[in-house]
Amino acid sequence: MRQLLIDIFSFEDRPRYERIGFLIFIIIVIIFPWIVKSAYGRAVMIKFLLFALFGLGWNLIGGYGGQVDLGQAKNVGFGAYATGLMMLWWGVPFWITVPVGMIIAAAESFGVAYPMFRLKGHYFAIATLCVALVWKELFVFWDWTGGARGVEIPIRSTPDFIYMQFGSPIHYHYFIFFLFITQLLFMNWFRKSKLGYECQAVRDNEDVAASLGINVYRTKVIAYTITGGLGAVGGSFMTVYYLYIDPDFVMPLDLSILIAMTVMVGGAGSMWGPIIGSALLIPLDMYLGAWLGAKKRLGIDFMIYAVIMMVIAAREPKGIWGIIERVRKKRVG
Amino acid sequence: MELTVQLIIYGTLMGLVFALIALGLSLIFGVMNIVNFAHGEFLMVGMYIAYLLSTFLHFDPIISLPLAALAGYLLGIMSYHFLIHHILRGPMVAQLFGTFGLMLFLRYLAMYIFTPDVRSIRTGILVGKVLTLGWVSLDLSKVISAGVCLISFGLVYWMIYRTKLGRALRATSLDSEAAQYMGIDTKKMNALAWGIGGATVALAGSLLAHFYYITPTVGMLFTLIAFAIVALGGFGSITGAFLAGIIIGLIMVLSGHLVSELKFTFIYIVYFLVVIFRPRGFFGW
Repeated sequence: MRQLLIDIFSFEDRPRYERIGFLIFIIIVIIFPWIVKSAYGRAVMIKFLLFALFGLGWNLIGGYGGQVDLGQAKNVGFGAYATGLMMLWWGVPFWITVPVGMIIAAAESFGVAYPMFRLKGHYFAIATLCVALVWKELFVFWDWTGGARGVEIPIRSTPDFIYMQFGSPIHYHYFIFFLFITQLLFMNWFRKSKLGYECQAVRDNEDVAASLGINVYRTKVIAYTITGGLGAVGGSFMTVYYLYIDPDFVMPLDLSILIAMTVMVGGAGSMWGPIIGSALLIPLDMYLGAWLGAKKRLGIDFMIYAVIMMVIAAREPKGIWGIIERVRKKRVG
Repeated sequence: MELTVQLIIYGTLMGLVFALIALGLSLIFGVMNIVNFAHGEFLMVGMYIAYLLSTFLHFDPIISLPLAALAGYLLGIMSYHFLIHHILRGPMVAQLFGTFGLMLFLRYLAMYIFTPDVRSIRTGILVGKVLTLGWVSLDLSKVISAGVCLISFGLVYWMIYRTKLGRALRATSLDSEAAQYMGIDTKKMNALAWGIGGATVALAGSLLAHFYYITPTVGMLFTLIAFAIVALGGFGSITGAFLAGIIIGLIMVLSGHLVSELKFTFIYIVYFLVVIFRPRGFFGW
């Protein structure tokens, strides 16, 4: 038990500069709502934390596991719809809908992972993409999910912590920060766990991993299942934050790509990669999008994304974190 | 009965267009083992070329066919030299994201230039004409498109299997290193595969523009259709792409007739089932 707590909360194995950087980051996030008063700035911060949360979850399969999953949006959708529909139908408290959403997403991921991990590489990536698209089209097609009209959450007259509806963005800020830190601590445990090491071994070389007695197939399926569950948390948050969901909003292909991309740009398979990637791409998207959108210049923000993506793919597959590591090694060595 | 026959004919016609779309993807995969996520975006470029010619220059969109093919060829060659060549040796993840980046770039470049509005071509000698054969009436633009696709497919097939250049291309796809020892410029062959891939798919795009709506985001759908076809026919197989194209065309039209909202869902499910139960497809190795 004691060892488990140490594994969760300890960053002792990371170099000093990382721990200091992380501490500074935490402090900035905590004091942020008192420094930045503009509603837009706060919304950017919340979206950044949301995508950092998504990125942390995706990093488990995409970074540590090395399996490119282009369908994470389906899990976001499961979480969002579990929360939305349960609140709409039965008025279930938020904190009960979250585990339900996670279980649904994890169960679905487990179900499709079972046949899907017979595939590798490109085939796997395209299969995940297809599965996510099938779910999205079904959610549009079905009536009981609200179809393309989506789900509107009834607004409560008083803010409360049971349904997590608040009047001010400050509450949402700390709420998403709490979820983010929980997931971060989980990932901190994960990377040091047996499963974490097994995943990394599978990513680095499947044959070697198998020869060491690791059940490659089982490891991948478990990692994919956990990733599914983690993705649903952010979806549940989206429901109570935006108070409106539809399939085009919570489960589009663009969302899957953006989640994968923040991790790739930041550095897949590293603890801080998803955070760095989101910190770069989300403000870029929000500010550039708003600025260019006002000038009716649609699409330039995504073109910049695309160029970043291509340059990263061609020059630095390990992302920004890879560059930082290399610079540091040069200075130390 | 009449409806069924009409649907089958229509499905086959669409299938021939799909086959040409999938040809390039299969060829590129076969030669350098890379999946081009930007494939549908090349198609979109072909569509916009046809649109530009007919709307702004008031030419008949049929004139755009060679222009679109040329533009697709150049785009393919350029993509290879500026991007693909640099990511070929990288890890698979980098390859995936490289072509994904190319896809996003082309898509949003089109959105920047043309705005997200849905467009269509309204004038042209083929647009809106109906061909009546007995009791079957067909959209003339679809018949001609299918014919052009069949001829183009045949030409590429001939080039690959009957010419010296095609033999070099096939050698590269079998074993790139060995081909290099035999004096084949594999870099040139890779670029050629991208050029042919781009040209065929852009040509198909300029044909599709005659009867399909045009938006900057139309490409993804066709990329996925092409994936399904290539998976069904076997990655890298040209013959497979042809037969699987027709099968997918039939599946799309027939299932679309039954449940019109889910016609593309069936294609994704077909892809999923094929790669899981028969990853080699019909003709793959």
